[in-house]
Amino acid sequence: MIKLLFFGRLGDFATGLSTSIDAVDGLTPAAVRDGLAAGHPQLVYELSQPQVLISLNQMIVDWDHPIVDGAELAFLPPVTGG
Amino acid sequence: MSLTDRQFIRYSRHLLMDDIGQQGQEKLLNAHVLIVGLGGLGCPVSLYLTAAGIGHISICDGDTVDVSNLQRQVLYQTEDCGHLKVDCAKAVLSGLNPELDITTYPEMISTQTLSQDYSIVIDCTDNLAARHMLNEYCQRQGIGFVTGSAIGWEGQLIGFDFARHSKLCLNCIIDRDSAEPLTNCANAGVVGPVLGTIGSLQATMAMRMLLGFFDSHGEVLRYDGKDARWLNLRSLAKSQCAVCSGQKL
Repeated sequence: MIKLLFFGRLGDFATGLSTSIDAVDGLTPAAVRDGLAAGHPQLVYELSQPQVLISLNQMIVDWDHPIVDGAELAFLPPVTGG
Repeated sequence: MSLTDRQFIRYSRHLLMDDIGQQGQEKLLNAHVLIVGLGGLGCPVSLYLTAAGIGHISICDGDTVDVSNLQRQVLYQTEDCGHLKVDCAKAVLSGLNPELDITTYPEMISTQTLSQDYSIVIDCTDNLAARHMLNEYCQRQGIGFVTGSAIGWEGQLIGFDFARHSKLCLNCIIDRDSAEPLTNCANAGVVGPVLGTIGSLQATMAMRMLLGFFDSHGEVLRYDGKDARWLNLRSLAKSQCAVCSGQKL
């Protein structure tokens, strides 16, 4: 199983979404995002914004990073104001 | 440099601490910190570092105070509207600690502003281009860089101790060629105390660097004030980074 976390305001768009998914071969953060497209278009739109950060087990990774079983995958929206 | 009698009283709560003490206070008094941006982050950063006794503080911002700033930019008063932020800030900061040197740059950050000799640069701006200009400058100069940002209920803080680490910089975490997100404080809003939280942490991080305690180079700290939740995320240097890899790309 992969634990999913939509941090901050991304959580507002993930209402009703399961907090875990099955681990499959070749899974990446980009594949997880794309798999949400049918049921959660607004969430996928937010995840497609520039500067979204992805962490895997508290490590910042790229969209094409392989995900292993048991990992925690977190999506973090951009924070740019000052 | 030795402390005066007045400084012993002013900084007594630092001097009581074993890991600051007189030696640490002298490090703070000998430091020169550049604060870029005097908005919601720059206000608490400059107030705390002035109170802490950073000997020379440079502040850079080309904006004037607007009434819409007053919900979160705690340096300014209603009668300051229309006046340059750096001038209003200098008046408050000088009143708080008259013994410090405060240099003002009433302009947006540029390579000319960055020609001075800084101990640390603190990014309190609101745009990616400025952040990356500061990141590249600090990495090249081998000095500390503290970058903060906030929007809505959320904040982010990252520190880079380039005096001790040349690899892993902001460009490894957020690509400098990224577009600006459509969502920003001007169209989505921001909670004042969230800026205060992140700004206070930026000031704390700067003091940690100046005192030699900082050991979380490139760690990303995220805060969600709505859910009272924190995340500490590690990051890695990118081997092909155009800024810190040492490769000509």
